[in-house]
Order: sequence, then structure tokens, then C-alpha cells
Amino acid sequence: MEQRPELTVEPVSPWARAQVMLPVFVPFALLGGLLPSFSLAANLYVLALGGGLLLAGMSSRLPRRAAPVTLLPGVAWWLVPVAVFVVVEVITFGMGSTHDYPTLSLLADPLLDGYLVRSMAYFGWLAGFWGLVRR
Amino acid sequence: MSLTRLLAIAGFVLAVLAVLAVEWAARRPSSRIPTLGDVSALVMRYDVGGIPVGRLAILSFWFWLGWHFLAR
Repeated sequence: MEQRPELTVEPVSPWARAQVMLPVFVPFALLGGLLPSFSLAANLYVLALGGGLLLAGMSSRLPRRAAPVTLLPGVAWWLVPVAVFVVVEVITFGMGSTHDYPTLSLLADPLLDGYLVRSMAYFGWLAGFWGLVRR
Repeated sequence: MSLTRLLAIAGFVLAVLAVLAVEWAARRPSSRIPTLGDVSALVMRYDVGGIPVGRLAILSFWFWLGWHFLAR
């Protein structure tokens, strides 16, 4: 059986584990859900959280997961969703991002107006950010 | 709902489903497809002259994504 190249396991500080960090993001997401789009508070909140995580990600102090040395040959399969998304986004953007030709942003805006979806989006964004910081 | 709007929504849904399908295929035993995490990790290790360009690009993109959908 072919071995994946990333099987090396690095020791991880307990506080850096997802089981510890993900619950920390919950109150941040619940608070962020209260801040409406285009508000100064939302801008400052995202800039503060994103800036902090960006700095944490660029720092070499945090433990990182082992990365694969090379990619498996099936990496080209990832071009399929990327291509579908790019084609739809480029066409709708080129047509002016209107009601009849909506970009992803235009479709997402009304959904993100709701507190629950907005809070979940905050949590997903923070959790994804943390996952990237650890990479 | 207009046909073009329906097609646009279908296209975005198709893209999301394609991500889930490829990730599912990548996580199968003996898969020859890397997971999205592996692809991201390799891109993030890309340095130019000691500057972690790949890492900065991926983290900045995620930062922008949050700002675009949640703040702007």
C-alpha cells in the first residue's frame, strides 16, 4: 500500500489542539454575528481577529503540522471545483452582478443578514483560519 | 426566478458539491488525490528568497474572505 508522505507526527502543545481552540472561537463567533455588514464595528472586529490570526500564522512560535513533501498525482482533480466556480463567478461578475446574474457575494449577503447564519459563518472563518495557521 | 439566476445558483452549488466529492475521494484509503489541507500546506511552504510567499498569500486570502463576506 502506498504511504502518504505526511504521516510524520509532531508533538502538539495541548492549547494548540483543535479541541481546545475551537470552543474558544464560539463566543467570538456569537459576538461577531451581532455586528451588521458595512458597520464600523464589523470592520474593526474582522480586522482585529483576522489581523491577530494572520500574525499568529506568520509567526514561527506556533507548532505546525507536517506538510507533504510532494503532492499525490491526483491533485489535478482539485481543478474541477475551481474551474466550475471561476467560470460561474467570472460570467456573473462580467454581467454586472445583478439579480439575474448574481455573484456569490450577492447570493450570500441576504443569508448573512441572519444572526445564526452570520455567527456560523464567523465560526467557519475562524476555524478555517486556525486550521491554516497550524499548517 | 430567471433562468440565468437559477443557472448561476446551480453552478455555485455544483462547485461546492465538487469540493466535497474531491475531498471525500481524497480521504479514501490509498487515494492518489491529496486532501485540500495537503494542497494548502504545500502551497504555504512556498518561499521566495526566504520570504514565505505562499503562506502569506493563503493567510491573506482567508483574511480577505472574512472581511469581504462579514464586514464590507
